[in-house]
Amino acid sequence: MWRDALLVAGKDLRIEYRSRVTLNQIVPFALIVVVLFGLALGPDKTMLEATASGLFWIAVLLVTVLAVQRSFAIESADDARDGLRLSGLDPGGIFVGKAGAIAVELVVLEVLLAVVASFLYDVHLTSALFLGAICVLATIGLSAIGTLYGAVAAGTRVRETLLPLLFFPVVAPVLLAATNAWKAGLAGAPSHGLHWLVLLGAFGISYVAIGSVAFGSFLEDR
Amino acid sequence: MSGYIEAGYIIAFSVLGTYATSVVVRERAAGTRLRRRNYDATRAGSPAGRDKDAPVGN
Amino acid sequence: MTLLTTRQETPDDAPRPDQDTRGQGQRASRRASHILSAFGFFGFVGLCFTVWLGLWITPPDEFMGNLVRLLYVHPPLAWVAFLAYGVAFLSSLAYLWPRTRSLVLDRLAGASAEVGVVFTGLTLVTGSIWGRPTWGTYWTWDPLLTTTALLFVLYLGYLALRQVPGDAEVRARRCAIGALVAFIDVPIVYFSVIWWKSLHQAPTVLDPINGKTYVHGSMAWTLLLGFVSFTLVYVWLVGHRYRLAELRDREDDEGLEAAIAERRAEANP
Repeated sequence: MWRDALLVAGKDLRIEYRSRVTLNQIVPFALIVVVLFGLALGPDKTMLEATASGLFWIAVLLVTVLAVQRSFAIESADDARDGLRLSGLDPGGIFVGKAGAIAVELVVLEVLLAVVASFLYDVHLTSALFLGAICVLATIGLSAIGTLYGAVAAGTRVRETLLPLLFFPVVAPVLLAATNAWKAGLAGAPSHGLHWLVLLGAFGISYVAIGSVAFGSFLEDR
Repeated sequence: MSGYIEAGYIIAFSVLGTYATSVVVRERAAGTRLRRRNYDATRAGSPAGRDKDAPVGN
Repeated sequence: MTLLTTRQETPDDAPRPDQDTRGQGQRASRRASHILSAFGFFGFVGLCFTVWLGLWITPPDEFMGNLVRLLYVHPPLAWVAFLAYGVAFLSSLAYLWPRTRSLVLDRLAGASAEVGVVFTGLTLVTGSIWGRPTWGTYWTWDPLLTTTALLFVLYLGYLALRQVPGDAEVRARRCAIGALVAFIDVPIVYFSVIWWKSLHQAPTVLDPINGKTYVHGSMAWTLLLGFVSFTLVYVWLVGHRYRLAELRDREDDEGLEAAIAERRAEANP
């Protein structure tokens, strides 16, 4: 299964490398979101500084939806889904591969967003290692849910509106955990955020497990 | 203060009642449509008018 | 499986040798209809008594005053909301298990979810109405209330998933997995909100049941009656909603058959 996962992840990342859609479209979108938050919450930096971690993570959530849509849009061209189904790859592996590719793209985006946000919102990225760990763990959960629901929505005609509706409520705990952990980290007290790490880890593990088992049935149906 | 209590009860029960009515009405309508279609189909002699309650086979 | 459908009118048919089996099936479904109606009847009567007792007979609470009367309505609604979700989850799980796979379970999940969303919405509304005079605000980020709000949105997502057209089995599988993912999320949400609230030392007296009030005497009985009545009504609603789903599925199936038959009839005049 892991070999199949690497194969699929490699394929997705290579497509991204050649088409650069994430770079050309999703990254600017993320940046715009961060700027819009700044515009909405006023030029007075105190509000922005206080809400910085929340704004960051909402931006990440929005970007995740786009990344997932993109990941499944590649499959719709040239009957790639049928190709995937007939390839004999382990469905769990396909799931982990797709989720993994999304996760990699997201982590890169998060680093970029963090730097830009710290710049715009006047926030110092203290305990950066802790912040990074949160990012990685949260991203695992986000990409697992995203890939699962992305597959569900991809087979329908209402995929653009269905995916956000399904995705956002389920990842609410990730938003809570990541935001509060980041708050603790930014305030220089990462030890206060350790239980959030545990929650994020549990979330990620559960949904990666569920996803690898359930994904097979989505490939089967037309 | 008591206005809140009455409002709560009224809202809760009227919504429930409306929903219950809607379910029953929709159910009757679907049943009528089904019965009418089966009756018409049987009169026309098409195989679709077969009674679905009959055991399959034999 | 036509467990709960009403008996169909059949035009004059020659009596068939297997008439008896069909009669038995129809007797069983009539019995089921009667049982369902009993649930509805007793639930309705119970609700009437709950309202009567709740609004007039029971005394006002020493702390909350008359507001305690909402206690007979809000917690039962919340209980049914979570019960409905649990039923939807369990039947979805059973559907995914190959041994017990059956479209009955899928329809049950859908019916329970639709009824559940109504109860969840009402829970939120009655909770808000309680909150306004008690704490001066329509909404508090109380763990239970917030989890209920999220439950509401999760339900809506599930119902949206059910609307997506497709082959019955494909839709059933899709929805079952959706229900699985969403339901497992609920305890995670609950605990994360509790941790979140504890950070800010918010007052924890927000759960109406665990409030400072001592529920005893006629109030306790009324509360119990409320729980039982709403549960009976829930069963009745799900039964009818299930029947509606079954009728609709049959309509689709037979509609397809009729269309095919018509085409064939056209082809062979």
